[in-house]
Amino acid sequence: MKELPITAYRCKQCGKIHYPFHDRCLACLGREFEAINPAGNARLLTYTRIYNLPWGFNERYLTIGIVEFENGVRATGQVKVDEHFPLATGMILKPSWEPVRVQAGENVYGLKFTPVG
Amino acid sequence: MRDVAIIGVGMIPFGRRDEDGLMDMLAYASLKALDDAGLGAAGGAVRGSGKEPVGIEAVYVGNMGGGILQHQTAVASSLVDRINLLPAAAETVENGPASGGSAVKNGILAVASGYYDYVLVVGGEKMRDVTGWRATDFVATMTHPQVEYVYGLTLPGMAGMFTRLYMEKYGVTRDMLVAVALKNQEMGALNPYAHVEMALSREGIVDSPHSVVNNPTVADPLHLYDACPVSDGAAAIVLCPLDRVKDAKKPPVVIAGFGQATDTHTLQEREDPTDLKAVTLAAQQAFEMAKLTPADIHVAELHDAFTILEIAESEHIGFFKKGEGGKAVLAGKTCFGGSLPINVSGGLKARGHPVGATGVAQVVELVFQLRHELPKNRQVKNAENGFSINFGGFGNNVLSFVLRRVRQ
Repeated sequence: MKELPITAYRCKQCGKIHYPFHDRCLACLGREFEAINPAGNARLLTYTRIYNLPWGFNERYLTIGIVEFENGVRATGQVKVDEHFPLATGMILKPSWEPVRVQAGENVYGLKFTPVG
Repeated sequence: MRDVAIIGVGMIPFGRRDEDGLMDMLAYASLKALDDAGLGAAGGAVRGSGKEPVGIEAVYVGNMGGGILQHQTAVASSLVDRINLLPAAAETVENGPASGGSAVKNGILAVASGYYDYVLVVGGEKMRDVTGWRATDFVATMTHPQVEYVYGLTLPGMAGMFTRLYMEKYGVTRDMLVAVALKNQEMGALNPYAHVEMALSREGIVDSPHSVVNNPTVADPLHLYDACPVSDGAAAIVLCPLDRVKDAKKPPVVIAGFGQATDTHTLQEREDPTDLKAVTLAAQQAFEMAKLTPADIHVAELHDAFTILEIAESEHIGFFKKGEGGKAVLAGKTCFGGSLPINVSGGLKARGHPVGATGVAQVVELVFQLRHELPKNRQVKNAENGFSINFGGFGNNVLSFVLRRVRQ
Protein backbone atom coordinates (compact mmCIF):
# COMPACT_ATOMS: atom_id res chain seq x y z
CA MET A 1 0.00 0.00 0.00
CA LYS A 2 1.35 3.42 -0.99
CA GLU A 3 2.45 5.55 1.96
CA LEU A 4 0.05 8.35 2.79
CA PRO A 5 1.64 11.83 2.67
CA ILE A 6 0.51 12.86 6.14
CA THR A 7 2.56 12.87 9.29
CA ALA A 8 1.48 11.84 12.73
CA TYR A 9 3.62 12.19 15.83
CA ARG A 10 4.51 9.62 18.51
CA CYS A 11 5.69 11.08 21.80
CA LYS A 12 9.23 9.85 22.51
CA GLN A 13 8.56 9.98 26.23
CA CYS A 14 5.25 8.13 26.61
CA GLY A 15 4.38 6.78 23.16
CA LYS A 16 1.09 8.64 22.74
CA ILE A 17 0.22 9.20 19.08
CA HIS A 18 -0.93 12.62 17.93
CA TYR A 19 -2.52 13.81 14.73
CA PRO A 20 -2.50 16.76 14.16
CA PHE A 21 0.77 18.07 15.62
CA HIS A 22 0.98 19.42 19.17
CA ASP A 23 4.02 21.21 20.57
CA ARG A 24 3.61 19.32 23.85
CA CYS A 25 2.30 15.81 24.33
CA LEU A 26 -1.38 15.66 25.31
CA ALA A 27 -0.57 12.96 27.86
CA CYS A 28 2.85 13.75 29.41
CA LEU A 29 3.83 17.25 28.14
CA GLY A 30 6.86 15.78 26.35
CA ARG A 31 8.27 17.93 23.56
CA GLU A 32 10.04 15.36 21.42
CA PHE A 33 8.19 13.33 18.83
CA GLU A 34 8.94 10.67 16.27
CA ALA A 35 7.27 11.29 12.89
CA ILE A 36 5.16 8.33 11.74
CA ASN A 37 2.81 7.68 8.83
CA PRO A 38 -0.62 6.15 9.21
CA ALA A 39 -0.18 2.47 8.37
CA GLY A 40 -2.45 -0.23 7.00
CA ASN A 41 -6.21 -0.17 6.75
CA ALA A 42 -8.43 1.82 9.07
CA ARG A 43 -11.34 0.96 11.35
CA LEU A 44 -14.36 3.26 11.17
CA LEU A 45 -15.03 4.70 14.64
CA THR A 46 -17.98 6.94 13.74
CA TYR A 47 -19.42 8.68 10.70
CA THR A 48 -22.14 10.94 9.38
CA ARG A 49 -23.62 11.88 6.05
CA ILE A 50 -23.82 15.66 5.78
CA TYR A 51 -26.50 17.14 3.51
CA ASN A 52 -26.14 20.83 4.39
CA LEU A 53 -22.66 21.43 3.12
CA PRO A 54 -20.59 24.55 3.62
CA TRP A 55 -19.60 27.03 0.97
CA GLY A 56 -17.02 25.47 -1.32
CA PHE A 57 -18.75 22.14 -1.91
CA ASN A 58 -21.11 21.43 -4.78
CA GLU A 59 -21.93 17.83 -3.85
CA ARG A 60 -25.42 16.90 -2.67
CA TYR A 61 -23.95 15.21 0.39
CA LEU A 62 -20.65 14.08 1.87
CA THR A 63 -19.96 11.07 4.06
CA ILE A 64 -17.35 11.88 6.67
CA GLY A 65 -15.88 9.57 9.26
CA ILE A 66 -13.29 9.29 12.00
CA VAL A 67 -11.06 6.25 11.66
CA GLU A 68 -8.23 4.54 13.50
CA PHE A 69 -5.39 3.08 11.44
CA GLU A 70 -3.73 -0.22 12.30
CA ASN A 71 -0.82 1.62 13.96
CA GLY A 72 -3.13 3.70 16.17
CA VAL A 73 -3.21 6.97 14.21
CA ARG A 74 -6.67 8.53 14.24
CA ALA A 75 -7.85 10.75 11.41
CA THR A 76 -10.93 12.29 9.82
CA GLY A 77 -11.66 11.86 6.12
CA GLN A 78 -14.27 11.39 3.44
CA VAL A 79 -15.81 7.95 2.93
CA LYS A 80 -16.44 6.90 -0.67
CA VAL A 81 -19.86 5.22 -0.48
CA ASP A 82 -23.17 6.08 -2.04
CA GLU A 83 -26.13 7.31 -0.06
CA HIS A 84 -27.63 3.87 0.55
CA PHE A 85 -24.49 1.93 1.40
CA PRO A 86 -24.95 0.16 4.76
CA LEU A 87 -22.00 1.78 6.51
CA ALA A 88 -21.44 0.74 10.13
CA THR A 89 -19.01 1.60 12.89
CA GLY A 90 -16.23 -0.99 13.14
CA MET A 91 -16.03 -1.51 9.35
CA ILE A 92 -12.56 -1.82 7.85
CA LEU A 93 -11.74 0.81 5.25
CA LYS A 94 -8.90 1.18 2.76
CA PRO A 95 -7.32 4.65 2.72
CA SER A 96 -6.32 6.68 -0.33
CA TRP A 97 -5.00 10.17 -1.03
CA GLU A 98 -7.28 12.01 -3.41
CA PRO A 99 -8.80 15.41 -4.12
CA VAL A 100 -11.28 16.22 -1.33
CA ARG A 101 -12.29 19.72 -2.41
CA VAL A 102 -11.49 22.44 -4.92
CA GLN A 103 -10.21 25.84 -3.82
CA ALA A 104 -9.52 28.66 -6.27
CA GLY A 105 -9.73 26.18 -9.12
CA GLU A 106 -7.11 23.88 -7.59
CA ASN A 107 -7.62 20.42 -6.18
CA VAL A 108 -6.96 20.08 -2.46
CA TYR A 109 -5.85 16.56 -1.53
CA GLY A 110 -6.73 14.63 1.58
CA LEU A 111 -7.80 11.28 3.03
CA LYS A 112 -10.54 9.22 1.48
CA PHE A 113 -11.66 5.77 2.56
CA THR A 114 -13.34 2.88 0.76
CA PRO A 115 -14.90 -0.16 2.48
CA VAL A 116 -12.77 -3.29 2.13
CA GLY A 117 -14.38 -6.26 0.43
CA MET B 1 -13.36 38.30 45.46
CA ARG B 2 -16.48 40.43 45.75
CA ASP B 3 -19.98 39.02 45.21
CA VAL B 4 -21.21 40.15 41.79
CA ALA B 5 -24.85 41.07 41.17
CA ILE B 6 -26.76 41.33 37.92
CA ILE B 7 -28.78 44.53 38.23
CA GLY B 8 -30.05 44.90 34.69
CA VAL B 9 -30.87 42.69 31.72
CA GLY B 10 -31.95 43.37 28.15
CA MET B 11 -32.66 41.23 25.11
CA ILE B 12 -34.20 41.74 21.71
CA PRO B 13 -36.30 39.10 19.93
CA PHE B 14 -34.06 36.65 18.10
CA GLY B 15 -34.78 35.65 14.52
CA ARG B 16 -34.19 36.97 11.06
CA ARG B 17 -33.84 40.72 11.60
CA ASP B 18 -33.30 42.05 8.11
CA GLU B 19 -33.92 45.62 9.26
CA ASP B 20 -31.10 45.61 11.83
CA GLY B 21 -27.35 45.46 11.52
CA LEU B 22 -25.01 43.98 14.13
CA MET B 23 -24.39 47.35 15.78
CA ASP B 24 -28.13 48.13 15.89
CA MET B 25 -28.84 44.91 17.77
CA LEU B 26 -25.96 45.37 20.22
CA ALA B 27 -27.13 48.93 20.90
CA TYR B 28 -30.79 47.96 21.45
CA ALA B 29 -29.93 45.18 23.90
CA SER B 30 -27.41 47.35 25.75
CA LEU B 31 -29.83 50.24 26.24
CA LYS B 32 -32.55 47.88 27.45
CA ALA B 33 -30.16 46.45 30.05
CA LEU B 34 -29.03 49.92 31.17
CA ASP B 35 -32.65 51.05 31.48
CA ASP B 36 -33.52 47.90 33.41
CA ALA B 37 -30.65 48.62 35.80
CA GLY B 38 -31.89 52.15 36.31
CA LEU B 39 -28.76 53.43 34.59
CA GLY B 40 -30.36 54.63 31.37
CA ALA B 41 -29.01 58.11 31.95
CA ALA B 42 -25.57 56.95 33.00
CA GLY B 43 -22.64 57.70 30.77
CA GLY B 44 -19.28 56.06 30.50
CA ALA B 45 -16.66 56.57 33.17
CA VAL B 46 -13.03 55.83 33.78
CA ARG B 47 -12.24 53.41 36.55
CA GLY B 48 -12.55 54.71 40.07
CA SER B 49 -13.83 58.14 39.08
CA GLY B 50 -16.08 57.96 42.13
CA LYS B 51 -18.52 60.33 40.52
CA GLU B 52 -22.26 60.22 41.10
CA PRO B 53 -24.37 59.27 39.31
CA VAL B 54 -22.39 56.15 38.55
CA GLY B 55 -21.06 55.43 35.11
CA ILE B 56 -20.27 52.27 33.18
CA GLU B 57 -16.54 51.71 33.52
CA ALA B 58 -16.07 48.73 31.21
CA VAL B 59 -17.89 47.01 28.35
CA TYR B 60 -17.33 43.44 27.20
CA VAL B 61 -18.88 42.39 23.89
CA GLY B 62 -19.20 38.73 22.94
CA ASN B 63 -19.13 38.36 19.17
CA MET B 64 -17.76 35.60 16.99
CA GLY B 65 -18.27 36.64 13.41
CA GLY B 66 -18.25 40.40 12.91
CA GLY B 67 -14.92 40.21 11.14
CA ILE B 68 -16.08 37.45 8.79
CA LEU B 69 -19.79 38.10 8.28
CA GLN B 70 -19.97 41.92 8.46
CA HIS B 71 -16.36 42.71 7.63
CA GLN B 72 -16.30 44.70 10.87
CA THR B 73 -13.79 44.22 13.65
CA ALA B 74 -13.28 46.03 17.00
CA VAL B 75 -17.00 45.80 17.64
CA ALA B 76 -16.79 46.86 21.31
CA SER B 77 -15.00 50.09 20.38
CA SER B 78 -17.79 50.84 17.94
CA LEU B 79 -20.50 50.08 20.51
CA VAL B 80 -19.22 52.45 23.23
CA ASP B 81 -19.17 55.17 20.60
CA ARG B 82 -22.64 54.28 19.25
CA ILE B 83 -24.37 54.37 22.66
CA ASN B 84 -21.98 56.93 24.14
CA LEU B 85 -20.37 55.08 26.97
CA LEU B 86 -17.14 56.95 26.19
CA PRO B 87 -14.55 56.85 27.74
CA ALA B 88 -15.28 53.44 29.30
CA ALA B 89 -12.89 50.58 28.66
CA ALA B 90 -14.17 48.29 25.91
CA GLU B 91 -13.16 44.86 24.63
CA THR B 92 -14.53 42.38 22.15
CA VAL B 93 -14.40 38.79 23.33
CA GLU B 94 -14.25 36.14 20.60
CA ASN B 95 -14.51 32.55 21.76
CA GLY B 96 -16.60 30.81 19.12
CA PRO B 97 -20.15 30.01 20.21
CA ALA B 98 -18.98 30.53 23.80
CA SER B 99 -18.14 34.19 23.10
CA GLY B 100 -21.17 35.36 25.10
CA GLY B 101 -20.31 33.21 28.09
CA SER B 102 -16.70 34.33 27.92
CA ALA B 103 -17.78 37.97 27.87
CA VAL B 104 -19.94 37.34 30.97
CA LYS B 105 -17.01 35.66 32.72
CA ASN B 106 -14.71 38.56 31.93
CA GLY B 107 -17.29 40.99 33.27
CA ILE B 108 -17.63 38.98 36.47
CA LEU B 109 -13.86 38.87 36.99
CA ALA B 110 -13.60 42.61 36.41
CA VAL B 111 -16.14 43.36 39.14
CA ALA B 112 -15.24 40.53 41.52
CA SER B 113 -11.60 41.60 41.52
CA GLY B 114 -12.54 45.08 42.67
CA TYR B 115 -11.08 46.70 39.57
CA TYR B 116 -14.36 47.94 38.05
CA ASP B 117 -17.67 48.62 39.76
CA TYR B 118 -20.17 48.95 36.91
CA VAL B 119 -19.79 46.76 33.84
CA LEU B 120 -21.93 46.18 30.76
CA VAL B 121 -21.73 42.78 29.05
CA VAL B 122 -23.33 42.34 25.64
CA GLY B 123 -23.44 39.41 23.23
CA GLY B 124 -24.63 39.64 19.67
CA GLU B 125 -24.43 38.08 16.24
CA LYS B 126 -25.79 38.89 12.81
CA MET B 127 -25.81 35.59 10.92
CA ARG B 128 -28.64 36.04 8.42
CA ASP B 129 -26.70 38.55 6.34
CA VAL B 130 -25.32 35.62 4.37
CA THR B 131 -26.68 32.52 2.64
CA GLY B 132 -27.06 29.27 4.55
CA TRP B 133 -23.98 27.68 3.05
CA ARG B 134 -21.87 30.75 3.90
CA ALA B 135 -23.19 30.66 7.48
CA THR B 136 -22.42 26.94 7.70
CA ASP B 137 -18.90 27.63 6.44
CA PHE B 138 -18.45 30.48 8.93
CA VAL B 139 -19.35 28.25 11.88
CA ALA B 140 -17.12 25.47 10.47
CA THR B 141 -14.09 27.79 10.75
CA MET B 142 -13.97 26.59 14.38
CA THR B 143 -12.91 23.12 13.24
CA HIS B 144 -9.25 22.22 12.72
CA PRO B 145 -8.24 23.75 9.38
CA GLN B 146 -5.96 20.95 8.16
CA VAL B 147 -7.51 17.79 9.55
CA GLU B 148 -11.25 18.58 9.75
CA TYR B 149 -12.37 21.71 7.87
CA VAL B 150 -10.68 20.71 4.63
CA TYR B 151 -12.94 17.65 4.32
CA GLY B 152 -16.17 19.63 4.56
CA LEU B 153 -16.77 18.74 8.20
CA THR B 154 -19.35 21.06 9.78
CA LEU B 155 -20.64 21.50 13.33
CA PRO B 156 -23.80 19.55 12.47
CA GLY B 157 -21.45 16.90 11.06
CA MET B 158 -19.53 16.72 14.33
CA ALA B 159 -22.83 16.50 16.19
CA GLY B 160 -23.94 13.68 13.87
CA MET B 161 -20.79 11.66 14.56
CA PHE B 162 -21.13 12.33 18.29
CA THR B 163 -24.80 11.33 18.27
CA ARG B 164 -24.10 8.01 16.55
CA LEU B 165 -21.56 7.10 19.26
CA TYR B 166 -23.76 8.37 22.11
CA MET B 167 -26.71 6.34 20.84
CA GLU B 168 -24.57 3.22 20.61
CA LYS B 169 -22.96 3.66 24.04
CA TYR B 170 -25.83 5.00 26.13
CA GLY B 171 -28.95 3.79 24.34
CA VAL B 172 -30.22 7.22 23.37
CA THR B 173 -33.08 6.73 20.92
CA ARG B 174 -34.59 8.78 18.13
CA ASP B 175 -37.69 9.15 20.34
CA MET B 176 -35.60 10.85 23.01
CA LEU B 177 -34.17 13.34 20.52
CA VAL B 178 -37.64 14.06 19.15
CA ALA B 179 -38.91 14.60 22.70
CA VAL B 180 -36.27 17.32 23.25
CA ALA B 181 -37.26 19.06 20.01
CA LEU B 182 -40.99 18.93 20.84
CA LYS B 183 -40.45 20.16 24.42
CA ASN B 184 -38.21 23.07 23.50
CA GLN B 185 -40.30 24.27 20.60
CA GLU B 186 -43.42 24.06 22.75
CA MET B 187 -41.74 26.39 25.25
CA GLY B 188 -40.28 28.60 22.53
CA ALA B 189 -43.79 29.19 21.23
CA LEU B 190 -44.50 30.96 24.55
CA ASN B 191 -41.33 33.07 24.52
CA PRO B 192 -41.62 36.43 22.75
CA TYR B 193 -37.83 36.51 22.35
CA ALA B 194 -37.71 33.18 20.49
CA HIS B 195 -36.71 32.86 16.86
CA VAL B 196 -39.11 29.98 16.27
CA GLU B 197 -42.39 30.73 18.03
CA MET B 198 -43.98 27.57 16.73
CA ALA B 199 -44.85 24.36 18.53
CA LEU B 200 -44.31 21.12 16.61
CA SER B 201 -46.41 18.01 16.34
CA ARG B 202 -44.75 14.62 16.48
CA GLU B 203 -46.46 13.66 13.22
CA GLY B 204 -44.94 16.70 11.56
CA ILE B 205 -41.37 15.61 12.14
CA VAL B 206 -41.31 11.84 12.55
CA ASP B 207 -43.07 8.66 11.38
CA SER B 208 -45.29 10.27 8.74
CA PRO B 209 -45.06 10.98 5.00
CA HIS B 210 -44.97 14.69 5.84
CA SER B 211 -41.98 14.26 8.11
CA VAL B 212 -39.80 13.13 5.21
CA VAL B 213 -40.30 16.53 3.61
CA ASN B 214 -40.54 18.63 6.77
CA ASN B 215 -37.66 17.11 8.63
CA PRO B 216 -34.91 15.98 6.24
CA THR B 217 -31.59 14.55 7.38
CA VAL B 218 -28.94 17.22 7.89
CA ALA B 219 -26.15 15.07 9.31
CA ASP B 220 -27.36 11.58 10.05
CA PRO B 221 -28.63 10.47 12.46
CA LEU B 222 -29.65 14.11 13.06
CA HIS B 223 -32.49 15.78 11.20
CA LEU B 224 -33.41 19.40 10.59
CA TYR B 225 -35.50 19.65 13.77
CA ASP B 226 -32.65 18.28 15.86
CA ALA B 227 -30.72 21.46 15.07
CA CYS B 228 -31.07 25.06 16.24
CA PRO B 229 -31.85 27.76 13.69
CA VAL B 230 -29.29 30.25 12.39
CA SER B 231 -30.28 33.52 14.03
CA ASP B 232 -29.71 37.22 14.48
CA GLY B 233 -29.95 38.57 18.02
CA ALA B 234 -28.37 40.26 21.01
CA ALA B 235 -28.62 40.19 24.80
CA ALA B 236 -27.02 42.24 27.58
CA ILE B 237 -26.54 42.39 31.35
CA VAL B 238 -25.27 45.02 33.79
CA LEU B 239 -23.03 43.91 36.67
CA CYS B 240 -21.96 45.59 39.89
CA PRO B 241 -20.75 44.54 43.34
CA LEU B 242 -23.60 43.15 45.44
CA ASP B 243 -22.77 45.56 48.24
CA ARG B 244 -23.38 48.52 45.89
CA VAL B 245 -26.95 47.43 45.17
CA LYS B 246 -29.24 49.93 46.85
CA ASP B 247 -33.00 50.24 46.75
CA ALA B 248 -33.27 47.70 43.96
CA LYS B 249 -36.73 47.71 42.44
CA LYS B 250 -36.20 44.18 41.19
CA PRO B 251 -34.70 41.33 43.23
CA PRO B 252 -30.95 41.26 42.59
CA VAL B 253 -29.51 38.05 41.25
CA VAL B 254 -25.95 37.09 42.13
CA ILE B 255 -23.53 35.03 40.13
CA ALA B 256 -22.89 32.41 42.78
CA GLY B 257 -20.45 30.40 40.72
CA PHE B 258 -18.87 30.02 37.34
CA GLY B 259 -16.47 27.68 35.60
CA GLN B 260 -14.67 27.18 32.34
CA ALA B 261 -12.72 24.31 30.84
CA THR B 262 -11.31 23.22 27.49
CA ASP B 263 -10.84 19.97 25.60
CA THR B 264 -9.00 18.82 22.47
CA HIS B 265 -9.62 20.82 19.31
CA THR B 266 -10.39 17.76 17.22
CA LEU B 267 -12.98 15.13 18.04
CA GLN B 268 -10.64 12.40 16.73
CA GLU B 269 -8.10 12.96 19.51
CA ARG B 270 -10.53 12.42 22.39
CA GLU B 271 -9.90 9.02 23.88
CA ASP B 272 -13.66 8.63 24.32
CA PRO B 273 -15.39 11.11 21.98
CA THR B 274 -18.65 10.71 23.93
CA ASP B 275 -17.02 12.12 27.07
CA LEU B 276 -17.67 15.88 27.27
CA LYS B 277 -14.91 16.49 29.80
CA ALA B 278 -15.03 20.28 29.53
CA VAL B 279 -18.74 20.28 30.41
CA THR B 280 -18.11 18.18 33.50
CA LEU B 281 -15.17 20.31 34.64
CA ALA B 282 -16.87 23.65 34.00
CA ALA B 283 -19.97 22.53 35.90
CA GLN B 284 -17.97 21.15 38.83
CA GLN B 285 -16.14 24.47 39.23
CA ALA B 286 -19.37 26.46 39.21
CA PHE B 287 -21.07 24.21 41.75
CA GLU B 288 -18.03 24.19 44.02
CA MET B 289 -17.81 27.99 43.97
CA ALA B 290 -21.54 28.33 44.63
CA LYS B 291 -21.41 25.67 47.37
CA LEU B 292 -24.33 23.97 45.67
CA THR B 293 -24.91 20.64 43.94
CA PRO B 294 -26.87 19.77 40.78
CA ALA B 295 -29.75 18.76 43.05
CA ASP B 296 -30.05 22.38 44.26
CA ILE B 297 -30.82 23.77 40.78
CA HIS B 298 -34.42 24.73 40.05
CA VAL B 299 -34.12 25.80 36.39
CA ALA B 300 -31.41 25.28 33.76
CA GLU B 301 -30.52 26.66 30.36
CA LEU B 302 -28.39 24.16 28.45
CA HIS B 303 -26.66 24.61 25.10
CA ASP B 304 -28.96 22.51 22.88
CA ALA B 305 -27.49 23.52 19.53
CA PHE B 306 -28.48 19.94 18.72
CA THR B 307 -31.04 17.87 20.63
CA ILE B 308 -28.39 15.32 21.63
CA LEU B 309 -26.46 18.03 23.46
CA GLU B 310 -29.26 18.76 25.90
CA ILE B 311 -29.31 15.09 26.89
CA ALA B 312 -25.52 14.64 26.98
CA GLU B 313 -24.92 17.90 28.87
CA SER B 314 -27.62 17.07 31.45
CA GLU B 315 -25.68 13.88 32.20
CA HIS B 316 -22.20 15.43 32.21
CA ILE B 317 -23.34 18.25 34.52
CA GLY B 318 -24.64 15.65 36.97
CA PHE B 319 -28.36 16.32 36.71
CA PHE B 320 -28.79 12.69 35.63
CA LYS B 321 -26.57 9.61 35.51
CA LYS B 322 -25.04 8.62 32.18
CA GLY B 323 -27.70 6.95 30.09
CA GLU B 324 -30.54 8.46 32.14
CA GLY B 325 -30.82 11.92 30.54
CA GLY B 326 -32.87 10.77 27.57
CA LYS B 327 -35.17 8.74 29.80
CA ALA B 328 -35.68 11.84 31.97
CA VAL B 329 -36.85 13.80 28.93
CA LEU B 330 -39.32 11.06 27.97
CA ALA B 331 -40.58 10.94 31.57
CA GLY B 332 -41.25 14.67 31.53
CA LYS B 333 -38.72 15.44 34.27
CA THR B 334 -37.12 18.24 32.23
CA CYS B 335 -40.30 19.84 30.89
CA PHE B 336 -41.97 22.93 32.36
CA GLY B 337 -43.60 21.61 35.54
CA GLY B 338 -41.12 18.73 35.81
CA SER B 339 -38.64 18.18 38.63
CA LEU B 340 -35.87 20.06 36.74
CA PRO B 341 -37.18 22.27 33.91
CA ILE B 342 -34.51 22.56 31.20
CA ASN B 343 -34.64 25.21 28.48
CA VAL B 344 -37.93 26.79 29.46
CA SER B 345 -36.90 29.59 27.09
CA GLY B 346 -37.07 27.14 24.22
CA GLY B 347 -33.29 26.81 24.37
CA LEU B 348 -31.10 27.36 21.36
CA LYS B 349 -33.47 25.00 19.56
CA ALA B 350 -36.32 27.54 19.56
CA ARG B 351 -34.97 30.83 20.93
CA GLY B 352 -32.27 30.56 18.27
CA HIS B 353 -28.49 30.65 18.30
CA PRO B 354 -26.90 33.94 17.27
CA VAL B 355 -23.58 32.50 18.36
CA GLY B 356 -22.05 35.46 20.22
CA ALA B 357 -25.34 36.25 21.94
CA THR B 358 -26.24 32.82 23.28
CA GLY B 359 -24.17 32.73 26.48
CA VAL B 360 -25.54 36.11 27.53
CA ALA B 361 -29.11 35.24 26.51
CA GLN B 362 -29.01 32.14 28.74
CA VAL B 363 -28.05 34.33 31.71
CA VAL B 364 -30.77 36.86 30.86
CA GLU B 365 -33.39 34.09 30.80
CA LEU B 366 -32.20 32.82 34.19
CA VAL B 367 -32.46 36.34 35.63
CA PHE B 368 -36.06 36.56 34.36
CA GLN B 369 -36.74 33.24 36.10
CA LEU B 370 -35.02 34.13 39.38
CA ARG B 371 -36.73 37.51 39.58
CA HIS B 372 -40.04 35.66 39.20
CA GLU B 373 -41.16 38.10 36.53
CA LEU B 374 -42.23 35.76 33.74
CA PRO B 375 -45.84 34.94 32.84
CA LYS B 376 -47.32 31.92 34.63
CA ASN B 377 -46.98 29.70 31.59
CA ARG B 378 -43.17 30.13 31.64
CA GLN B 379 -42.33 30.95 35.26
CA VAL B 380 -40.77 28.10 37.23
CA LYS B 381 -42.38 28.40 40.66
CA ASN B 382 -40.16 29.58 43.49
CA ALA B 383 -37.01 29.27 41.42
CA GLU B 384 -34.03 30.42 43.50
CA ASN B 385 -31.03 28.78 41.81
CA GLY B 386 -30.40 28.65 38.07
CA PHE B 387 -27.67 27.07 35.95
CA SER B 388 -26.42 27.55 32.41
CA ILE B 389 -23.91 25.93 30.06
CA ASN B 390 -22.46 27.74 27.04
CA PHE B 391 -20.79 25.12 24.81
CA GLY B 392 -18.11 26.39 22.42
CA GLY B 393 -16.72 24.56 19.43
CA PHE B 394 -17.75 20.98 19.80
CA GLY B 395 -17.23 21.01 23.53
CA ASN B 396 -13.65 22.25 23.37
CA ASN B 397 -14.36 25.45 25.32
CA VAL B 398 -17.23 25.44 27.79
CA LEU B 399 -18.49 27.93 30.37
CA SER B 400 -20.98 27.41 33.16
CA PHE B 401 -22.79 29.73 35.53
CA VAL B 402 -24.77 29.26 38.73
CA LEU B 403 -27.10 32.17 39.49
CA ARG B 404 -28.91 32.73 42.79
CA ARG B 405 -31.81 34.96 43.72
CA VAL B 406 -30.85 37.22 46.63
CA ARG B 407 -33.26 36.91 49.52
CA GLN B 408 -34.25 40.37 50.66
